[in-house]
Amino acid sequence: MKKENAKRFGMVIDLDKCTGCGSCMVACMAENNVPFREDETDKLLSVAWMRVYKLTNGKAFPDADECFLPRPCQHCEGHHGHSPCVSVCPATATDYDASTGIVSQIYTRCFGCRYCMAACPYHVRLFNWWDPVWPDGMEKMLNPDVSVRMRGVVEKCSFCFHRYQLARQQADYEERGEVAENEYQTACTQGCPAGAIVFGDLNNPDHEVTRLAQPDLSHEGKSRNPKAFRLLERLGTNTKVYYLSSREWVRRLGDNYQVKAAQHQA
Amino acid sequence: MKIDRRSFLSFAIGGAAGTALTPLPWKLTDDMSIWSQMWPWTPVPARGAVTVVKSACTLCPGGCGINVRKVDDRVVKIEGLPDHPVNDGSLCTLGLAGAQLLYGPRRVKTPLKKVNGRFVAISWEDALAEVSEKLSDLRAKGGAHTVACISSSDRGTVAELLARFLRVFGSPNFIRMPSSQDAYEVALYLTQGVRAIPGFDVEHSDFVLSFGSGLLDGWGSPVYLFKAHSQWRDQGGKLIQVEPRLSRTAAKADQWVPINPGTEGALALGIAGVIIKESLYDEKFVNSHSSGFQEWKRLVIDGFSPEIVSKVTGVKVTVITELARSFARANRPLATGGRGKGTSPGSLKEVLAVHFLNALVGNLGQKGGSWAVPEPEYIDWPELEMEQAASTGNQQTRIDGAGSDIYTHARYLANRLPEALLTDPGYQPVQVLFISEANPAYSLPDTTAFKDAVAKIPMKVSFSSYLDETAELADLVLPNHTYLERYEDVPAPSGYPLPIISLVRPVVEPKFNSMHTGDAVIQLAKALGGSISKAFPWDSYEECLEETLGDKWESLMEQGYWVDSEYEAPGWSEAFETASEKFEFTSREISALGNYSLVKPEGDEAFFPLVLIPFDTMRLWSGYVGSPPFLIKSVEDTLLQKNEVLVEIHAATADSLGLGSGSTAVLTTPKGKARVKIRTTEGIMPGLIALPRGLGHTANDRFLAGKGVNYNRLAGPVEDGATGHDAAWGIRARLAKA
Amino acid sequence: MSTVDEQSKAASGMDEGHIPQGVEEKKQDGSSATIILFFVFGFIASLIVGWVVFPKLLYSSRPQPVEFNHLVHNEMVDEGCESCHFFREDGSYSGVPTLAQCIDCHEEVQGDSEAEEYFVTEYVQRYREVPWLVYSRQPPCVFFPHSAHVLKAGMDCVTCHGSIGESESLRPYEQNRISRYSRDIWGHNIAGISRNSWDRMKMDDCAECHQRENVNQASVQTKRGGCFVCHH
Repeated sequence: MKKENAKRFGMVIDLDKCTGCGSCMVACMAENNVPFREDETDKLLSVAWMRVYKLTNGKAFPDADECFLPRPCQHCEGHHGHSPCVSVCPATATDYDASTGIVSQIYTRCFGCRYCMAACPYHVRLFNWWDPVWPDGMEKMLNPDVSVRMRGVVEKCSFCFHRYQLARQQADYEERGEVAENEYQTACTQGCPAGAIVFGDLNNPDHEVTRLAQPDLSHEGKSRNPKAFRLLERLGTNTKVYYLSSREWVRRLGDNYQVKAAQHQA
Repeated sequence: MKIDRRSFLSFAIGGAAGTALTPLPWKLTDDMSIWSQMWPWTPVPARGAVTVVKSACTLCPGGCGINVRKVDDRVVKIEGLPDHPVNDGSLCTLGLAGAQLLYGPRRVKTPLKKVNGRFVAISWEDALAEVSEKLSDLRAKGGAHTVACISSSDRGTVAELLARFLRVFGSPNFIRMPSSQDAYEVALYLTQGVRAIPGFDVEHSDFVLSFGSGLLDGWGSPVYLFKAHSQWRDQGGKLIQVEPRLSRTAAKADQWVPINPGTEGALALGIAGVIIKESLYDEKFVNSHSSGFQEWKRLVIDGFSPEIVSKVTGVKVTVITELARSFARANRPLATGGRGKGTSPGSLKEVLAVHFLNALVGNLGQKGGSWAVPEPEYIDWPELEMEQAASTGNQQTRIDGAGSDIYTHARYLANRLPEALLTDPGYQPVQVLFISEANPAYSLPDTTAFKDAVAKIPMKVSFSSYLDETAELADLVLPNHTYLERYEDVPAPSGYPLPIISLVRPVVEPKFNSMHTGDAVIQLAKALGGSISKAFPWDSYEECLEETLGDKWESLMEQGYWVDSEYEAPGWSEAFETASEKFEFTSREISALGNYSLVKPEGDEAFFPLVLIPFDTMRLWSGYVGSPPFLIKSVEDTLLQKNEVLVEIHAATADSLGLGSGSTAVLTTPKGKARVKIRTTEGIMPGLIALPRGLGHTANDRFLAGKGVNYNRLAGPVEDGATGHDAAWGIRARLAKA
Repeated sequence: MSTVDEQSKAASGMDEGHIPQGVEEKKQDGSSATIILFFVFGFIASLIVGWVVFPKLLYSSRPQPVEFNHLVHNEMVDEGCESCHFFREDGSYSGVPTLAQCIDCHEEVQGDSEAEEYFVTEYVQRYREVPWLVYSRQPPCVFFPHSAHVLKAGMDCVTCHGSIGESESLRPYEQNRISRYSRDIWGHNIAGISRNSWDRMKMDDCAECHQRENVNQASVQTKRGGCFVCHH
């Protein structure tokens, strides 16, 4: 079933470079037809595929420090593609694709039971409580490459999979076999003014993302880079979004750092 | 044959059996499930041919190049222009959301005229005729100088056309909106003798000492700064942030130096003192290319010893000396001034103090240093033929007093407008006010005073594309095309060290009945006739722009930008055009302005024990363009909850006031009152209240208006003794339980 | 039927003494015949409804805005279908031609057909796009790259679109009133039976071929085709 040239698209986000500006969020919203409402301050209800979290070191003034952590869908591989959300979906609306490593979400198939939201440890999944409505005339800027989601379904980050479809379409047209690294980049990667996000195929040793993430495939993709961590790694979600930080308190917060260290020693 | 219940049942059963043998149930089930997969009222974007148009962004002074992705004739997405020297393919929050301004509900769709307090649509012909009649009437009565214009910029052809119009008409009152450039321009003039734009070669610096500059919060050209910051991370550059609040810039910095607000200049002088005392300065530069050093040195050493400075600033002596040493010993150190996004001029003496640090380490015009970028020179229009009315008018004192005996050094003083308009109730010094690409009723400190002052002007003409706070006050709104519907040149991105021009070009046909402000000015001039008409020898703005850009036009059309990448700042022996032909640490002019002194915030300490300071974030914009819906959506819930803004305050300060995190309070300043929510944090000095800029709109659209509080409604300007610019960095305030 | 008998017995029991025996039997005969008759009525009626009336009600039918003869055009162009239905530079498929392409030949009326004259006066001269109704339009959640199918897999147009290139006129566009999609997706046979590869364009048809050709059979959930191949 698994093809030899299977890809494992993944991301490395350098938290030393990320300034928390929010360009990734806006780039994502504009690219992916994310709807907006007058009041978006309840973040449990506000649909955003990419969200920038603020971490604080908990110290008192003037030793307080902050770090910003952009969080797209982590595209968990789990064990052999059994990511938390995929295994609970009763409608086969979400699926793990072994040839790309992307967790898909098909809105027309979803009937809104929200099991996947309960199962996701990262809060990346959001429910459309309202009809998506654009002010008169603004529906003109909707992107035809991405389905508009109706009320009552769950949505989430797709790693801008439609851009891969378009890149492959062009490659097929030009009768080339493969899509080059720079031909398929997510909207957040492209938009990030700090260049903090790197995206590519974790199976391809030539891709920047692999050089930075240094995944150890014999240990479920754990990074060999001492600056790198993944969110809640001990859950075995085997995510494909790696974070880099030179600050230890950030790594501790983002990951179960001590558990990881203990495992490495063992 | 009798039809009874039994036969009916039988018919139904027969029907059911028959139906089961037709496709009907299966097909209906299938169709209905397909129907339920996508409600018919959910919009479906049309597919089409994709094209990408190169253009430039005008939404902030950053001057980024953009790639606009279209599907047929619709703008679908705006992205950064790859290889553009400023932003190389990426873009900031505001630029990425730009299409929402084109299609959003805040657009002015047709010229509007206020009749009995309400706007009614009028034709362009009538609107322009109304303005030109009023203007020729004024001029005939000798009141040409009572026409004024407020613009966000004074560079580029549109601003220059407006300024030219005023000059040839007979008014000296072209006013640029305030920014940190105001004070920097004076500093460059006083110390280096040049009329130039401040530029900072941040990407090549390896040690940036920022005195409150929100380098990663929208200061200068934001994307350029973000890229530079990432480069420091890759190559080991250092960033030190001096600021009372843990801003994003401070959080990203290698060191955050909290400081008593408003004392940044004192710290700069303290650092300078240590550098001089320990002879860490660039001797070659100081000895051969500067003048007045000895005199200034005495001032600094005597008045700003680390001990004194420590007391004033709250920064430890050891920190001051350490900063001085590491700054001076860095390969390419650079100091920056201008708080937050740089939307306020600040005190000249403070800017000078920071600028002197750059001089001390000899980085002026050097790689990674502070540059004086020459004003763009491509706008070279025929000499004006000045009629009597024009020359008389231009000799009148400017309404804001800039350039007068009192305010010799200032070029523009928008902050003085309310005072100038309100002092003499008998005489109305401004009869007609043009407002172009600016929203002073929202962005100028003390908005209440500005609104009162503007109410006295008989004719206010706004060229805004959006129904913003200022447009709402106008008598006529002559909507400009948005930047996605027009041509324009974008010169001199804020803080960028190289001369560069980018070209804005129409990506789509104008969506509404709007007109390019350049064309509106040309048409007004033609209507007025005589020498005014002659000063505008073009049939359209497009013709004017193409002619003005001359041989650069081709490359601008093809590449989207023109850059003088070979540009090198002149060597130290040629760079300075002062009397001494050297960099002047002191001079007669500088001494005349007095010594460095702290700028006190407005308000009585006894009544207002706390100090309110504003802060900037990349998700909220407070200039001409307010945050579009995507940005408001991305604002954190630690900053906005429902329609209430959260102010940041130190936990101990909150405790002493009996205010808990999340509680509601009334914030009072000498200028006004507002309901706010409290957010306690360890990331701010005790005794301060921090409020974000960019909220509290009353106009634009329903996604922006009515959320939070406008800092400028609660704050007012404090006149800088040296220049007359607004030197305020905060205002005294009080918090009480609601 | 036994229930009916029991019911009638119970009924006659109740009325015993009033109704003569023979009448009761006669009624029983008559009623079972009626019942069978009604069953047949219902059966036939529902078959007629299901096979004849239902399809007519389910689909609305509209003529195309302009008459078009594929055959005539096909004979005049050099590169077959691709002369008008071509790939754009980015590899996307242009689909139905836009007015800009038609104008190349039809700026003025060329022949003597009424349809052409109508097309030139109504659309070309007014510079209005023709609102063609696309028979093979897939739902908006579907991504169908022609390049992968035509260029990479070497399929020809007929495989999915049938012999439309040889048609002399455009058939009416039929739209499903419930799902709002073209009838061609389900196929013209109301039972959904497809004899030719171009008779139906449902997801199962795509999936069947993908499975046969082993295209991206990488789904963890279904062990078959992944969703993010054709959907977005």
